[in-house]
Amino acid sequence: MSSRENILKTVKGNQPEWRELPELKALGAAAGGVDLSGEALADGFVKVLEAIGGAAYVVSGYDRVGTILRELFPRVGRVVSGCPELGFGEAAGGYADPHELEDVGLAVLSAHFGVAENGACWITEDRMIERALPFIAQNLALVIRKKDVVANMHAAYEKIEAMGLGYGFATFIAGPSKTADIEQSLVLGAHGPKSMTVFLVDEEMSDAGFY
Amino acid sequence: MKQNGGKAGKGDHAALADAFNKDEARVNWHDETLWWIRQKRDKAAHGVADWELLRETASRIKENVLSGLGGYLEQFEAAAAANGVTVHWAADAAEHNAIVLGLLRRHGVDKMVKSKSMLTEECHLNEFLQEQGIEVVDTDLGERVVQLAEEPPSHIVLPCIHKKKEEIGEIFHEHLGTPAGNADPQFLTHAARLHLREKFLTRRAALTGINFAVAETGEFVVCTNEGNADMGAHLADVHIACMGIEKIIPRREHLGVFLRLLTRSATGQPITTYSSHFKKPRPGKEMHIVLVDNGRSVHLGRKEFRNSLKCIRCAACFNTCPVYRRSGGHSYHTAVAGPIGSILAPNLDREKYADLPFASTLCGSCSNVCPVKIDIHDQLYKWRQVLVQSGHAPVAKKAAMKTMTWVLSNPSVYHTAGKAGRWFMLNAPFTVNNGMNPWYKQRDMPPVPKESFGEWYKKNKK
Ligand code: SF4
Repeated sequence: MSSRENILKTVKGNQPEWRELPELKALGAAAGGVDLSGEALADGFVKVLEAIGGAAYVVSGYDRVGTILRELFPRVGRVVSGCPELGFGEAAGGYADPHELEDVGLAVLSAHFGVAENGACWITEDRMIERALPFIAQNLALVIRKKDVVANMHAAYEKIEAMGLGYGFATFIAGPSKTADIEQSLVLGAHGPKSMTVFLVDEEMSDAGFY
Repeated sequence: MKQNGGKAGKGDHAALADAFNKDEARVNWHDETLWWIRQKRDKAAHGVADWELLRETASRIKENVLSGLGGYLEQFEAAAAANGVTVHWAADAAEHNAIVLGLLRRHGVDKMVKSKSMLTEECHLNEFLQEQGIEVVDTDLGERVVQLAEEPPSHIVLPCIHKKKEEIGEIFHEHLGTPAGNADPQFLTHAARLHLREKFLTRRAALTGINFAVAETGEFVVCTNEGNADMGAHLADVHIACMGIEKIIPRREHLGVFLRLLTRSATGQPITTYSSHFKKPRPGKEMHIVLVDNGRSVHLGRKEFRNSLKCIRCAACFNTCPVYRRSGGHSYHTAVAGPIGSILAPNLDREKYADLPFASTLCGSCSNVCPVKIDIHDQLYKWRQVLVQSGHAPVAKKAAMKTMTWVLSNPSVYHTAGKAGRWFMLNAPFTVNNGMNPWYKQRDMPPVPKESFGEWYKKNKK
């Protein structure tokens, strides 16, 4: 018998009597310390993201995203953008090999939504240009719509299901890459991006105050 | 890589703990650091209004998994295969290692990057591959530190928690050429970033662990803060992901439950920086999953102990354990240390690990924090009985004696373990019930600790 057959036989012989799966419905009525009412979701998201070392800006549109990024990263070098509306960064795509991205200073990508309870953004590979990009870039900026913030991870998976997106790879990203392996001292920028900035686009927002 | 270990009695928990305890300042520091992490866990857990419901739900999902594991494994295999992923089955550590070697050989690879995988520690993959002339670079910073130091990880989430930054500075000075005497965590992390980036960019094969594998979709999730699993996997031609068969969960929506619990329990963060969902290989590249049994299917049949297979490896039970905090991970001489390791290890080798179920005060703190509600301290207690009954009594007796001595001479272990009455209530029944009561016989009483229990009690009773 092959190992596969052996393992399955032993497992099936030893597994206990069938136990039903629990309901998930009651979960997530309250998120991790975050107010769940409409407007408050984005605020909660920003608060948590900042607490885990990320930065967040609520903006009126891509014009502001570009302005802020130029201010934040004046000498960042190579910029790869998956957001054509941004108006700068190299025309991304068509890389023969992800290793070509090793010197990217800033990647700007459009994510699907944010999660208020943990500051994470969900992004599928079709929006990453290359799977490696959100990890290999020295700095990462993600853009979501302000109204696309869900309360918690239960709502997140409901949304993923509802969106019906097929993906070969997808990830939640919550803040910059980090480590505390040396005496529990938190250091931002382990192997991946040293910074993570999320832009929450609010189309109804007036630009008046900015100019 | 050097291995801890040896038979109980020589390099057993109490002896190894004694060695760790020689440097009192370090032990205090280790203890406090882990307690601080435990407190962060508490804060994060208390911030979630439905925390207890989450734990209960997670526990019940895992019970369902164990009850239908065979079917879920088949479902997962079929879904993964449909996604273009190759699934391998390994009966034991040797077969797992041979499968990984075979894949590397087929691709002509002699250098590989690896992200954290306690399973490969369990299988001693690194040593095996090195003997075969294959270089493995651990890319998790903490794992890289212990790898360079030629030590195993001492903690499943924080592999070099036992190392002071000055020691890490020295290791990096020797291996990475950082300036002597520089022990700044920021600086050292940056040095490791540069060192490992070169590895990520030049290695064609990457091995990762798996936190959760979804039967319904065939995808698997890998959680890291550093991004090292992703850096390795997305730049490599071959991605090999290894998992114990118990890592299956039925549906993707169940990830919502486990991802809410895992990192809050582990470090007090709301989630890891990256929770990556791998489903299909990149075009033209390969993705392999190795499903490893290594004793798990047999363990599943042990009614009293099968619950330990629910573990999601968060290490909350380590951080809260008064014995772990003051004895260090290496004293457990097994890949997965701490309370959960102490109930998993005897399943694999009763003789070698007979001491571990005794490396506990049975205070129950582990069971209280466990996000999947494993009855850890009950299982420790049950293992003691089994070990005595199955003829490991001399070892068991010795281990019990030594643990008792050690605990009594370490008031802070005793203290954090709970109140005196509770401690004896929990420990005495074992010694009485088994007709093997070392405390009962004068001649067997352990040597009196430097500060006797009575003295200590008076001093601390307020
Ligand atoms: S036994 Fe529970 S607390 Fe310990 S590592 Fe496993 S899941 Fe975490």
